[in-house]
Formats: sequence, structure tokens, C-alpha cells
Amino acid sequence: MPLNPSISRSTWLPVLVICLLGALCFSLWAGPLPISVRDISQALFAEPSSSAHAAVILKIRLPRALLAALVGASLGSAGAAFQAVLRNPLADPYVLGVSGGAALGAVAALSLGFASVFALPAAAFLGATGALALVYWIARAHRSTPHTLILSGVMVGSFAAALLLFLLWLSPSDPVRSAIFWLAGNLSLSDPGMLPWAALWIFSCFAILWSRYPALDLLTQGEETAADLGLSVGQARLVIFAAAGALTACAVALAGLVGFVGLVVPHAARLLWGPGHGRLLPASALLGAAFLMAADAVSRQVLAPAEVPVGVVTALLGAPFFLYLLRKREGGL
Amino acid sequence: MIRAAELGFGYGNRPVLQNLTFDVRPGEILTILGPNGCGKSTLLRLMRGLLKPDQGRLEWDNRAAHQIRRDAMARLAAVVPQFTQTHFPYTVRQMTAMGRYAYRTAFSPPTAEDRKAVEQAMAVTDTLHLAERAITGLSGGELQRVVLARALAQQTPVLLLDEATSHLDLDHRLEIADLLSRLNREKGTTIIQVSHDLDLAAQISHRLMLLSDGGILTSLGPPQEVLTAESLRRVFRVEVRVETNPYTGTPRVFPVIRRRQGATIQSHLHVVCGGGSGADLLRRLHVAGCTLTVGPLNRGDSDAALALALELDTVLEEPFCPLSFRVIATAREKASAADAILLAPTFWGSGNLAGLEMVLTLRKEGKEVFVLDPRPDRDFTGGRAWALIEDIRACGGHVIEDIETIFDAVGEKKSGCTKN
Repeated sequence: MPLNPSISRSTWLPVLVICLLGALCFSLWAGPLPISVRDISQALFAEPSSSAHAAVILKIRLPRALLAALVGASLGSAGAAFQAVLRNPLADPYVLGVSGGAALGAVAALSLGFASVFALPAAAFLGATGALALVYWIARAHRSTPHTLILSGVMVGSFAAALLLFLLWLSPSDPVRSAIFWLAGNLSLSDPGMLPWAALWIFSCFAILWSRYPALDLLTQGEETAADLGLSVGQARLVIFAAAGALTACAVALAGLVGFVGLVVPHAARLLWGPGHGRLLPASALLGAAFLMAADAVSRQVLAPAEVPVGVVTALLGAPFFLYLLRKREGGL
Repeated sequence: MIRAAELGFGYGNRPVLQNLTFDVRPGEILTILGPNGCGKSTLLRLMRGLLKPDQGRLEWDNRAAHQIRRDAMARLAAVVPQFTQTHFPYTVRQMTAMGRYAYRTAFSPPTAEDRKAVEQAMAVTDTLHLAERAITGLSGGELQRVVLARALAQQTPVLLLDEATSHLDLDHRLEIADLLSRLNREKGTTIIQVSHDLDLAAQISHRLMLLSDGGILTSLGPPQEVLTAESLRRVFRVEVRVETNPYTGTPRVFPVIRRRQGATIQSHLHVVCGGGSGADLLRRLHVAGCTLTVGPLNRGDSDAALALALELDTVLEEPFCPLSFRVIATAREKASAADAILLAPTFWGSGNLAGLEMVLTLRKEGKEVFVLDPRPDRDFTGGRAWALIEDIRACGGHVIEDIETIFDAVGEKKSGCTKN
């Protein structure tokens, strides 16, 4: 906990920007090819140079760092939104069947023979949004409380997993296996040309989500109270679900399933800077971006030249923190 | 203002509210009373348009409640629910400011008016000193006052409270009742509340609405017309006595202690007590179904008052008079008719020593006597009372340590008797 809440709460933005820049430098520096800080500054700010170092930084590491930042920001802000809507500070953006849907979509595309650069993310995205829509529709039929939503999410997720096993059994080919590996979390971008589009998508979804921050605050108080305070709950929830779901689906499509970011990052941001969503959403996005860039750099550095899947790093860092939060929970989150 | 006409609502086949027709008058305090599950909370939900009536209408100035936009409704009526569950550590000020949602648009900073409404709401609910505290660390009473502050920050002409003060301590319950009365008086706020506190409701309400099981409107009117023994018996199925509160002049309801069916002890017991020493004994034996006679006691003694309230057969002497032969004789008559005599842990002085002598005489005649927790330090007669108690024990009186064992002892003797 911060020593002095009023100081740390007012300085959230500078602190996060410094974290973000630090993580970016770390991410540009880490990897099998040794690169100095001077190389980085030359590559970024000096005249275009043709050195191998500059090429590695600009063509390989920078796109990858930006991808990690985008995915981390998506998962962080989507996690904050899902935690508010589900009234559960320990919810995760994958909780509503998104992961199962994305995996199913990707594997279905591969086993049907679509293997282009865009096909896999597109199919994963369709699978994720499909699963989310299904969960929402099922829960809606039974007066959707957070409980019915989470239960429907678990059901749809299990159903997708069963279908996935069935597909694997039908076509035990190598591309399908590679899809499974990719889904375990992978930030090696197949086409840097996707970055601007992904950024546009993520920024718009985030803007929609952020514009609803008072609604998110109200929804943490429960639906009836939110309605009594003047919120059209059904409409607000649909918009928030769509935006947060689209962010999650986009993250999954870009980088597979990177666990714990969407759970731990908003939680830590809430501990540090309070639960008000006007600040929590951008703080979670920035913290998520910094966290995933750093985790990705670690994944490339620890066993260089071999690369540990980034999902392993986030889980190894996130799971103990999560357990710590669970233990602490008795004293109020 | 709010008008219900032939209003009906049900969950599935179960009717919750049936054929309700009433008006809420602007500026009144209306309290809805009724047994659990009679549809009080559902009625409040219908009033704020969260539910759509199955039959009839519920209208605010001729507009159906469920068709009013949520933000418009939030400027008409604020709600204080019974419980608030929260996992998110908002500060008290943030929580109170949520009451301004219906007046604000996203990204526009709170206006001076918003800030003033929030500060005032915290001030009147005694939560200003908690402003920067996290709501997750508050006590139940503090949290409930914050929820009330949030409702007040909505600055609505109507307040709806759903058993909002039922789990507050007496101090804050009365304080909030005063606050509601003041809002009503000074700002003309209409207050509609669901409550189980009949006395407090009678004190602050202009009108009471009594709902019975199945959501039927039994009566609606000023407290003294609604709170009658007859209507309360019909709605709550209990015997009550309604008296006038001497301080406020409003009706006050006393439940009459119900005798348990299939009582555990059916003996006739005579209790000799005084000064409150027999209160627990009398109450519990009465509830257990004993036939009780009591005395001798002086009028004005607290045991005497209790015995009269329980409508027990009590032998009374005039206040502060020594026990007369006539009274002792009557008491002795009652006691000899009983299956056993219970001697409460009373203080003994010259005024009531005759009662103890009476017990000893009856013991010598063979009457069963139980002496509860005898101790010499309750003797203020210079040893005479203690000597009498020793005599009673010597003649076969049973000593009993606490009230619990009396039930066993009396029960045993009783079953022993029936065997003979």
C-alpha cells in the first residue's frame, strides 16, 4: 500500500509514463544480440543508419515491444472493466469463455486449411467474440447476474474445449499443433503491417470503454443500485461488454493467451491508485503495457538465445501475486 | 404524485401484490408495514420502475413508472436499500459522489453544485469525518449512513427506504429517523419507507400502509387508525396490546407473550420472590406453560408489575407495608394448592420475612419446595432469614444452583408424581 495515498494517487501518470519508458528500453535492449543504450538512442533518434544493430532494433525489437504494449494495455483495461461488471475484483478477461472460443476459432481455421498470416488472428477473434456473444445471450435469458454470467462463461469455455479436442482428434496435423503452441502466448508478430490496424482497433475500443467510466463505478455497486442511481444498466453493460470483449479478442488474436495480465494488473492499479475507473482504466492500460513489455523482455533474456513463452513468465510472476492478494483479501481488497 | 391503480404483480404463479389502489401524497412520510414476504420490497421496486406491473398501473404524475428513463427517475427518487455489499475500496466521498451520476456527463468535472450536494449529504449523515476512508473498512452502521448520504446527494423530491435502519444501533436509528423528519419538514421531501419497527414508524409517519400476506392492502391511514390490535392480529397473526406512548402520544404496540403449545412443564408452581429476583423465573416458567401463582408481593415491586403484566394470579400487599396476616393467609392458600413452591434468590428484610416463614410452615406440612441459589449475604435480618432457609433445607427443601436445573428438577418431580 502507498505510504501516502494523496501523493501517490496524484502522481499516477508520471509514474506510469516512467515505467512505460523503462520497460520499452528494457525490451529494446533484451535479446540474443547485445545492444548498448547508445545503439538504441542512435537507432531511434539519429539519422537512419544501416547498421545491423539499428535494423534489429527497428525491424524486430521495436515492433515486438509495441505489440506487447498493445496486448498488455488491452488485457489490463479489459480486465479492469470485467472486474467491475462482474463485481469481482478477482475476475479475469478470459473468464467468460473468450479463451476457449479463440482457441476453437484458430484451430478450426487451420484444420479447414486457412493458414495465411491474417487467417489465424481473424479466426481467433471470431471465435472469441462468438463465445462472448453466446455467454451474454445465455445469461440474458436468465436475468443476468454476475453469477449466471460467470457460470455461462465456464460452460461455454468447457464446451469449446470439448469441440477443440474433437477437432484435434479429427486432424492431428502439424499446423494444428502449432496453433496450440501459439495460443499458449506468443508475441513474435508474423506481420508488422498489422500493428497500425491493431493499434487503431484497440484505441477505439479503449476510448469507448473509458467514456463509460462513471457507469463502471456504478456497476460495482450492483445492478439494482446502479439503476437507482440513474444508469440504464442493460445498455451500459452491453456497451462495456462489447468494448472489453473486443479488446480481449484482439489481444488473443495478436498474441494468444497471455495469462494473469488482465487479472493482476488492474488489481495492482486499484491498490495503488484507487478504484475510481476514470483513473483506473488508463492506469491499468499503461501498467499492463509496461508489465507485458518487461515480461516479454525477460522471456527473451533469461535463457537467451532460447525464448521462454511469455505466458510462462507472466504466470510465474502473476500467480504468486494472485495468491498474495487472495490471502490479503480478508482485510478488504 | 405517485398513484397506484388496481396494481398487481406476481413471480410466476405466485401473486406478490394484488389489486392495490392508493395515492402517495406529496410531502408525506408513508411507512409500509407487513409480514416478511408480503411484497413490501416488490412494491418499492414497482414504484421506481425497476419492475413492470402485471395488472393495473403505477404512475408518477400520469407517467408509467417503468417507462421513465433511469436518469430521470434518479432525479425523482433516491433509494436506500437494506444491505450494501461492496468489494471495491471507494472512498466515502467517491461513494457519495455516485449520487450525482444522473446530473453529470462523462469527462465533465463535477460542478460547484455537485460538490456542494456531496459535502452537505456527508455533513447531515455524520460521515464528513470519514470522507477519505475506504468504504470496505467501515462498520455496518457507518456504511449505511454513507449509502444514505449517496441517496441525499441525488437531491430528489422522494426518498425510498427499504428497511434502511433495521440493522443500525438505537442511537443512529433514532438520529436517522430525526433526519428524515427534518428533511420532510424543511424541504418537503416525500418519504416512503418499508419498516418493521412499528413504534418508530408510528412516531414519524403521517400515514401507515399495512399489507398482509399475498400483497393485499389491509389498511392505509394515520398511525392510530392503522395500528389496532384487531388489524395487527389479522396481518401478523399475533396477539398485541396497543397503548399510547406517553411521550409522543402515538400508538405503541406490545406483543403479548405467547404461550407455547404443548408446554414442557404443566405443573402448578407457586413463586415467592420480590425486587426483581423472580423476573427471569416467572417469564421462563410462563413461556414453558406452567400455571403460576405468585406472592406475597408489595404493589409497585418490579416482580409484582411483571406478574400483573403476565396476568398471573398474584397475592398483593399495599406498597411498602409489612405483610399482613390476611395477605399471608391468601398466599398460603394459593401455595398449598400448587404442586411445588419456588423460592427465588430474594433479599430478605423484616418486611418480607413472613413470606419465608410461610414457606417453612408449608414445607413442614409436606409441600415440595425448591430453593434457588440460597446465599447468606442476601439476609438483612441479622441471621433470622438464613436460619429459616437452613430450616427449610433441613426439612427436605431442594437447593437448586441455577434456573436451568429447575426445569429438570420440576419435570422429574412431576413425572415421579404421575407414576405414583
